[in-house]
Amino acid sequence: MLKRIYDILFAFKEYVLLAILLTLSIGLIASNDRTQIRAIRSVTVGVLGGAQNAIGIVPNYFNLRSENRILREQNLTLSEEVNRLREARLENIRLRRLLGLRDTTSTRYIAARVIGKSLQLLRNTITISVGERDGIRPLMPVVTERGLAGKIVATSAGYSVAQVLFHRDMRVSGKVQRSRADGIVAWEGGSMLVLRNIAKTLDVQAGDLVITSEYSSLYPAGIRIGTVSLARQVPGSLFQVVELVPAVDFATLEEVFVIPVVPDSTRLALEASFQR
Amino acid sequence: MRSLLVDIALTLVVLLIHTTIIPFVAIGDVVPDLPLLLVITIALLRGQIPGTFAGFGIGLAMDFLSGGDGVLGLSALTKTVAGFLAGYFYNENKTFQTLGGSQFLVIVLLAGAVHNVLYFVIFLQGSGFSWIWILLRYGLPALLYTAAAGLVPMFWIGRKYA
Repeated sequence: MLKRIYDILFAFKEYVLLAILLTLSIGLIASNDRTQIRAIRSVTVGVLGGAQNAIGIVPNYFNLRSENRILREQNLTLSEEVNRLREARLENIRLRRLLGLRDTTSTRYIAARVIGKSLQLLRNTITISVGERDGIRPLMPVVTERGLAGKIVATSAGYSVAQVLFHRDMRVSGKVQRSRADGIVAWEGGSMLVLRNIAKTLDVQAGDLVITSEYSSLYPAGIRIGTVSLARQVPGSLFQVVELVPAVDFATLEEVFVIPVVPDSTRLALEASFQR
Repeated sequence: MRSLLVDIALTLVVLLIHTTIIPFVAIGDVVPDLPLLLVITIALLRGQIPGTFAGFGIGLAMDFLSGGDGVLGLSALTKTVAGFLAGYFYNENKTFQTLGGSQFLVIVLLAGAVHNVLYFVIFLQGSGFSWIWILLRYGLPALLYTAAAGLVPMFWIGRKYA
């Protein structure tokens, strides 16, 4: 009997092997969030970051001239904006004092170089040159001077991997700055983002700025996400279709800043227990 | 034993190139899948069982190299299937003719198409994406780019072993 089973298995050994390996793969898919797997991934982030860092020392000289010009223009624009904001901040402090409100603008940033980009179909990530040694932890927001870039998803001692907005699993609680309409920013492929769950009755127009909402447990409120390029009513649907041009240009991303804030675990636990 | 060591060394080199240099040759957001080419090459060079093993091993390595991102086991699964399929075309007496001829491209397109369809169908589960649109937007260009990258080993082997 055993010999017969062995003969059958041997005759179909290719299929038996395929079945075993597929079962193993499915088992791995099912155990994605295990601590041991996260630890192994952390090691690979370190190894990969080191390799990408070594390759990244070769600068792209062809872009330097145009980049310098763009930076000088940006510098001028930002200097003007800083002056205006300084005035507004002083006014804001005065008004807050009058109203007795607390100051909420003490954001700290950790600068990082983008040392690698991974274009894995719908899983676009960047590897950056700071890690746990610099205080980086998973879920911290990643921004540029233009706006929200993504969030940290894996860390090693010296490097981190950040998921960018152009990622299948990215969801950000967003708000139209002008009309205060709330929605969920997501990516559905292509070069645009979408703002979901915007009811037909809400006022959204092309050119509106979309920022992170205070409802988000991950991102500080008020970070620029993108600009509405299209707001369209769909017959038979309760919601409108809203497309955004992201504020950050991911093709030319070289420097980012990590905001060292992690979600409030008590808030997450409360929300999770309530949803259960 | 020697061939196994050669395959492992080749795998390490390809994974290093894939994660460091390949992003520089991206066309838009599409890159060639060099590890898939390697899996198919191993299957055509060594047979269906080594090809299936190679698919699993290389896919698993890719899953880990994606850092904390992505679905661990998904590349292992899809590349195992690609290695298994490519192994059907293994012919011990015509190894280099297959690798150095147009047959190679046909096999890359076939195994790559199955690989990409399987990948997206599983990967997009539970998301709002239309997987047919995503296949046309990402899967097809990635497949064509991978096949184009396959021309390099094809011509090299074709010329060397003609």
